[in-house]
Amino acid sequence: MTAVLVIEDDDRIRLALLLALEDEGYEARGAATAEEGLRSQRRESADYVLVDLMLPGIDGFEAIRQLRRDDDVPIVVVSARDDTHDIVAALEAGADDYVVKPVAIKELTARLRALRRRARTVTTVEAEVPVFSFGDLEVSPEAGEVRRAGEPVALTRTEFRLLCELAEHAGRVLSRQQLLSRVWGYDTGDERLVDVHVGRLRQKIETDPANPRHLVTLRGLGYKLQR
Amino acid sequence: MRRLGLRARVTTAFAVGALLLSASMALVSYELTRRTLLDERERTVLRAAYYDAAVVRAGLDVENPDAAEALRTLDTGTSRRALMLLNGEWYGRVAGTGVTDAIPVRLNELVMAGEPAVQRIRLDDQPYMLVGVPLSESAFFYEIASLRELEQTFQVLALALTAVAIMVAGSGAALGWYATRHGLRPLTAVADAAERIAAGDFTTRLTPDTDPDLTRLSTSFNRMVDELAQRIDRDRRFAADVSHELRSPLQTLAAAASVLARRRENQDERTATAARLVADEIDRFQQLVNDLLDLARGDQPVHREPVELTELARRACRDRDLPESMVHLAADTPATWQVDRRRVAQVLANLLDNAERYGAGPVAVRLLRAGDAGVIEVDDEGPGVPVEDREAIFDRFVRGRAAHHRGGGDGSGLGLALVAQHAAAHGGVASASDRPGGGARFRVTLPGSLA
Repeated sequence: MTAVLVIEDDDRIRLALLLALEDEGYEARGAATAEEGLRSQRRESADYVLVDLMLPGIDGFEAIRQLRRDDDVPIVVVSARDDTHDIVAALEAGADDYVVKPVAIKELTARLRALRRRARTVTTVEAEVPVFSFGDLEVSPEAGEVRRAGEPVALTRTEFRLLCELAEHAGRVLSRQQLLSRVWGYDTGDERLVDVHVGRLRQKIETDPANPRHLVTLRGLGYKLQR
Repeated sequence: MRRLGLRARVTTAFAVGALLLSASMALVSYELTRRTLLDERERTVLRAAYYDAAVVRAGLDVENPDAAEALRTLDTGTSRRALMLLNGEWYGRVAGTGVTDAIPVRLNELVMAGEPAVQRIRLDDQPYMLVGVPLSESAFFYEIASLRELEQTFQVLALALTAVAIMVAGSGAALGWYATRHGLRPLTAVADAAERIAAGDFTTRLTPDTDPDLTRLSTSFNRMVDELAQRIDRDRRFAADVSHELRSPLQTLAAAASVLARRRENQDERTATAARLVADEIDRFQQLVNDLLDLARGDQPVHREPVELTELARRACRDRDLPESMVHLAADTPATWQVDRRRVAQVLANLLDNAERYGAGPVAVRLLRAGDAGVIEVDDEGPGVPVEDREAIFDRFVRGRAAHHRGGGDGSGLGLALVAQHAAAHGGVASASDRPGGGARFRVTLPGSLA
């Protein structure tokens, strides 16, 4: 059974979310604080983490950073805050997706399923391994590997999925909407999700992230991966 | 009559002041000059007359004096004429009888009484100076000198002074205009600032230290803007805070409602109906909270980027299970517009929802151009919008009359207000009109999106 950890300080919200998620067939665990959530995750790793931003003690942003340090578990922020600042900060801390309260349970589980699709590509290893190379950058979607100058690069699942999508369409422009729908499964969604993940990806694969050579922005059109 | 503007009034006052001043100066100088010149001329004429009188007296001081002969010896030139009254007979150097008639009686009496006299007279409409000198008991000498040249000088002088006065008045007006322009410049700055603030830019402030005389104006103006901005900010924050605080309990409700919904088969009919009502109202509540937050955030700047409008419109239809074929792009209109994607997506969504709720469903979404403005039109086949409601429906919490009649209305009541706000954020407007052939047509212009 797929396990979901819900880090939420509001008892009623947590209880309601746990009930609803269990209804949808998840094994749901709750944590009232970030500390408790981090402990729970270290003890028994869940497949997804839902995290609120406003938490007593360690706040959501820091919780995401610590979770991200430990592993690449998909993290979805569930917050009542929808300022650009908060969304970008949470995504930059390492969250994979961001939904604003109140979110319908159907919507939430759709988000989780989209994340799982992304996760699966990483774990499946095929015999035939196509490798895309961009100068010193090598991307093997099937092997779930990215190397820069021969050194493996650690990417989160979402970053990896985004890079694969761009690599499979190398030299072609993908609009933010296309990337949203292909990587996050959004029909309509927040394009900042794409921008922040592209930024994070650049930090890891570009020599000079401020002047990207491979992952370039085409103003008004989208992104393109090139040699 | 419309009252003159400050600037016109100041300019007029300057002009009138300058005119009064220069006119009186001109008058005084004219009078002084005239008097001086006339006095001088009088002295000259008198001197000449006395001299001539002496000559004539000498000429008469012989036996059988011949008046004509005596007059002939005078060298009077062309500007003077000499006359003599001898024993009641007039003698003139040049034949001219009319002159004697012009000699005023008062002067004549004086001369007859043995007093020399001088007077200015007009003769044939020409100015002259008449001098009478008694020579003896029975001989009186008169000389008439033309003042024509002097008169001409006065005319030129008057003309010159008038011209100067007019010029000074003109300069006064120009000075007034110029001075008010400078004087009113701070007011222009205030007006510009007020306009910017009215347009929603609350960062506008006046620079307080530009002019010490205007410090009070700029300080109080700035304080007013501060207060206004704070108040607006407070209102907005309150709306945002309220909506925000409602989101957390809504999350509990949404999750709990979905748990109830899952168990609908196990519920009796009454419970199921109640559960469905709860779930529906939570959806509506959620929509209301989201719309309120959007409205509270509405003054954020527009983030323009190239957006493929046809795709956005088709997706909006797709999301509502409406046929994509109802989206029409006019032939002269590009498919990609420079607009704020989020806002325009919401405009399309809200207009389509509105058409579904109150207009018996949308029949067409048209994308066209009007100059550099992109125009979105959504048509429906409903009852249309009564003329008197066409502005009010874009206000908050105003729903169509039809909705009240139906007792329905499942929207937040903020949809069209948001449409209007998004249009305004782009510098455009939202309006409702009749659709040719029945129904309503909602039109949103987005200026600058096709530049």
